[in-house]
Amino acid sequence: MPTPRSFVIGLIVGIALVAAGSAAAYHTRFVADNCNYAAPTPTSYITRDGSATVALRARYEGYQWAGGCWNDNDHDDSPNDPHEDPATGGEGGDCSGFTFKVWRESLSTSDASFQQWGMLRHVHGPYTSAAFKAGTGAPNTTVSKAALIKMDALASDGHIGLIYATNPDGTDQIIEAKGEDYGTNIWTRTYRGSSSYSGVRRTGWSS
Amino acid sequence: MRTPSLDRRHARLLVGVVAGCSVASLLVAAVGRTGIAQRSDEAPQAVFDTTHLPPLLTFPGERVHLSYEVQCARQGVEDPESGCKVTGTVYVRNGPRDAFRPLQLEPTTLDGLRRLTAAVPTDVTGARGFEYYAEIEAAGTADRILVPAGGADAPHRSLALASATEVNLGVHAFGFVTPGTRIVSAPWGDGPASVGLESGRNLPAIGASAFDVSADGTVSLLDEAHRRVLRWQSSGGAPTRVPVLIDGRMADMSLDEDGSLYVLESVAPPGHTPLVRHFDSTGRELDAVETAERGASQVRIGPDGPVVLQHPSHQWMPVAARVAPVPPSDQRRSGRIGRPLRSGAEMVVLQREHEIRAALVSSRGVERSWRVTSETPLAEVQLAEPIGGRVVVVVRLYTESASEFVVLVLDRHGVARTFSTPTDEWAEATPLGRFRIAGNRLYRLGSDARGAFVAAYDLEAS
Repeated sequence: MPTPRSFVIGLIVGIALVAAGSAAAYHTRFVADNCNYAAPTPTSYITRDGSATVALRARYEGYQWAGGCWNDNDHDDSPNDPHEDPATGGEGGDCSGFTFKVWRESLSTSDASFQQWGMLRHVHGPYTSAAFKAGTGAPNTTVSKAALIKMDALASDGHIGLIYATNPDGTDQIIEAKGEDYGTNIWTRTYRGSSSYSGVRRTGWSS
Repeated sequence: MRTPSLDRRHARLLVGVVAGCSVASLLVAAVGRTGIAQRSDEAPQAVFDTTHLPPLLTFPGERVHLSYEVQCARQGVEDPESGCKVTGTVYVRNGPRDAFRPLQLEPTTLDGLRRLTAAVPTDVTGARGFEYYAEIEAAGTADRILVPAGGADAPHRSLALASATEVNLGVHAFGFVTPGTRIVSAPWGDGPASVGLESGRNLPAIGASAFDVSADGTVSLLDEAHRRVLRWQSSGGAPTRVPVLIDGRMADMSLDEDGSLYVLESVAPPGHTPLVRHFDSTGRELDAVETAERGASQVRIGPDGPVVLQHPSHQWMPVAARVAPVPPSDQRRSGRIGRPLRSGAEMVVLQREHEIRAALVSSRGVERSWRVTSETPLAEVQLAEPIGGRVVVVVRLYTESASEFVVLVLDRHGVARTFSTPTDEWAEATPLGRFRIAGNRLYRLGSDARGAFVAAYDLEAS
């Protein structure tokens, strides 16, 4: 029979080993345990208001490189993911996955129809931020930065964010999946005037 | 040589360790799964949010419409087009001595965006401007949003500009920039005199997020990735390092006259708002206070201490008064539309696509004002601050592929001096942290592939 002392030692060693193992190969089970692959719901129209609602539900829900699945509990369920790993299965979208879902686009780049994806549908979509910047895909088009309004986007080769509001000093409030250390939220940004960023619009909004 | 009794002890110890490890693994797995399951089972929450762009500066006779964009979605309904009914009232008055008058906000939709709007009666706008705040309600619920957050205690103000000095910039000629004199440079890296880039796949990179300059010309650069401030004396030499206990993400910073510094962290933990930390000149943390609102874009020093520009109210709110932290509820009640300056005056700025309105305001009202128009699109106003009898405005002008900052030294007659600077933003910094004024010099924070730097411009030179 093991002694109580040896059991306690084993328990401590075991917890340390499990913790060390987790740290060395961090892999949250958020996607595996919560997300689905259900088909999107085609819709006949989308409004900027509706897309703002989609975006606001993703707010505070974290960031995952190549991700696109989140719930709506205002909490990152997989914080502190390793930065350079797109396969950690964490909560949240990345910047382009977030935009794809907020703009309710199709997986086919030749299809401009409107597709409502569930929050827990794990989907990133076919576009990188650079592709959005170039206006790639049937639903997307470039537009003058001065003409951008709410829920249009500013995209660079490495990032994309959506305009949520404009501030009196000429900055924008951008809703964006910024990075693992930042999550998804609204921040004041100066992307509009930056030469690295271009204006992008989802086509087909209902007014 | 081992004895049989020692072998038995080892065997029992080994069995104990194996049993302990097994139980530990099961415990950790169970706790992890339970934690995720409990959190992800929570019901979707309602969305209720309002944005409003206040007409801070208006001209006599200008028709003023107040507009509030409202996002509202019912709890448990995932269809984003299924919004909830909202109503609103805006309360307006001429000035602080008058009673507020309610105006019903009317629902309209433009570009697929639901708005509540009201036209301000001309008898309210008056010769000096007017004050107002709005209450937005989600019908059938107790949910209510005050805009600005301080409501009647700290309403929005719209100041009338009776005699603004007109400045027309015409079409901007890109490519004629003044780089300034580099007074401080630090390479990217992890060395004692280097500046760090935040980890992660940030594109562009993020680093050297803010800076400030004291009256004696000492430059302090926030090296947030290394959680420290690099400080260069005006006499030159290597920087000294001041460790500061910050979260290591993009942050703004301002120096107080006593050498202490305030750091505004841009990322807040769940359920919290951005944090302003106060450190003494050696980096010892003195205190910290949360901002009243979810967004905070600048921290500067006002007449009684640090003030923070907060959103969505778009108001400057004190976060400390004579060193003592101001709690969020009191911040809301003290919101101002203009940036409180150390002198006690305020600087109010309103930017439009092709126009900037700027006013220097005292307790008597608008002292001086300018209307700057441009055929080239205007982006953000980086800085608006008096220097002597003039006001310096730094604004970004842009096209689809070019971007420069334009420095305007404004006096009563118009532009006393102007020049352009490059943007030099290889790395991302805090959005409105690129420029500072100390003495008669303008300082600019820039970065390139080699590192971060601060350039200086003598504003007295012709």
